[in-house]
Amino acid sequence: MIEVEGLSHTYRTPDGRAVSALDNISLTVAEREFVALLGPSGCGKSTLLYLLGGFLPIERGVIRFNSTPITGPGPDRGIVFQHFALFPWKTVRGNVLYGLEKMGLPRADREARAREFIEMVGLSAFADSYPSQLSGGMKQRAAIARTLAVDPGTLLMDEPFGALDAQTRTQMQTELLRIWRRSPKAVVFVTHDVQEAVYLAERIIVMSARPGRIKAIVDAKFDREDPQLVRTQAFRDRVDEVWALVHDNTAEAR
Amino acid sequence: MARLSVLPFLALLIVWEAVARSGLFTAFVLPSASTVLLRIWADGATGELFIHLGVTLYRALVGFLIAAALGILLGLIITRVALVRWFFEPIISIGFPMPKIVFLPIVTLWLGFDDTLKITMVVVDAAFPVVTATIAGVAGVEKELTWSARSLGANERQMVREVLFPAALPQIMTGLQVALPVALIVCVVAEMLTGGKGLGGAMLGASRVADSPGIFAGIVEIAVAGYVLVQGMSAIRSKVLAWHPEALPPATV
Ligand SMILES: Nc1ncnc2c1ncn2[C@@H]1O[C@H](COP(=O)(O)OP(=O)(O)OP(=O)(O)O)[C@@H](O)[C@H]1O
Ligand SMILES: [Mg+2]
Repeated sequence: MIEVEGLSHTYRTPDGRAVSALDNISLTVAEREFVALLGPSGCGKSTLLYLLGGFLPIERGVIRFNSTPITGPGPDRGIVFQHFALFPWKTVRGNVLYGLEKMGLPRADREARAREFIEMVGLSAFADSYPSQLSGGMKQRAAIARTLAVDPGTLLMDEPFGALDAQTRTQMQTELLRIWRRSPKAVVFVTHDVQEAVYLAERIIVMSARPGRIKAIVDAKFDREDPQLVRTQAFRDRVDEVWALVHDNTAEAR
Repeated sequence: MARLSVLPFLALLIVWEAVARSGLFTAFVLPSASTVLLRIWADGATGELFIHLGVTLYRALVGFLIAAALGILLGLIITRVALVRWFFEPIISIGFPMPKIVFLPIVTLWLGFDDTLKITMVVVDAAFPVVTATIAGVAGVEKELTWSARSLGANERQMVREVLFPAALPQIMTGLQVALPVALIVCVVAEMLTGGKGLGGAMLGASRVADSPGIFAGIVEIAVAGYVLVQGMSAIRSKVLAWHPEALPPATV
């Protein structure tokens, strides 16, 4: 369980200006909950994820992870970065293996697991390619495989499907839900896509423009096994409702 | 790798030969190209050339390798440890632009005239471009890359070795490519100032007995040695950075 209380974050630019990115954020994410984070560009979604990951120092407020305040990054919280952050000197396989080596798995298990996740994201033919030889969407899938392979208890994902075409995106959404069901974990999923948020998440946190505040929290508990889900009226109403909230935000930001 | 065209060198040799034979200068002021090349050939035949060349390359390369290891290590530590940074930053700012050869007289008193002296001088000079390149390389590493490693379970030491170092490697290689010719230059200069074996020492010896073909032979040998070293380094770069999207290594003229 993740508890965030009164969290604020201010960036200082090199010329000494202060940029308030997050203002007084409080939220909880339950043990096996899938939460989406929605909000206009620049509202602090990545910043919130960095703080949850323990990468940025916490200046005001607290983040508790299973009742203990977090002090730094750790393999219990896996993250998929918006800009992938693959190791450019390692092949796709090397990138996926990195976390598995750190887990101390025997060699054969590491290899098998890496192969499985590379296959899952559809990159088997590119396992020996370097990131610079991949398209944006392929890099993104490699980064997803690298993070999912270590099976972290909490998954932080920063627009993980943003660079994918519609078809690949749908496939990856299905895979993510499958993994989440097979190995239940807390997921905080940043996206710009309202439909994606309603489809994947059990709860949607809508943030307002800078400085980022929580504007609304919307429940979206649907039966995701239902192949007709996205065509049901209840689903479409929820999408419209969330869309209106986000759109309203965008108007405010102008 | 930049291919060197041989035609300009042929043209230079022909002009050199023609001017030397025109009678404009005495053979003492400007020995002909053929005289100099024959001299190099003769020195090669007696083995003299390879002794001097070997000694110079040994000093320059050993010095270079020590400078590379020290420079990378110090550079990495400087970026991680505030106290070390506080101490070394001003020293590097002053020491980098300074001609380190000014230490030669005093280091001679400490270490004598032998290999140790020349290697030490090489290390002191060649380490600077490596340290600064390492610091700049690490400073340019995307923070998300280090965060990735940390969240995948790397500890601080593994992060430095497995992420910061390879991520900074393109810049470090550039630093090494600067340091290698510096190593050769410093080695030859130190040899010229102190005499003894080595290409620089041989030239000093030739100068003392007014052997101008010997001096010119030394100049040509040093030019060739420098060219071969730089080309070798550039080949190593392409190998080491095979993963890097760079199409070409940086211009090494
Ligand atoms: N290193 C930084 N220095 C100064 N300001 C920053 C820095 N990083 C982010 N900011 C500012 O903080 C605010 C929040 O940034 P953040 O990246 O968290 O937004 P975001 O919601 O992820 O946006 P997007 O949807 O475009 O990815 C922005 O206004 C940005 O200008
Ligand atoms: Mg972002």
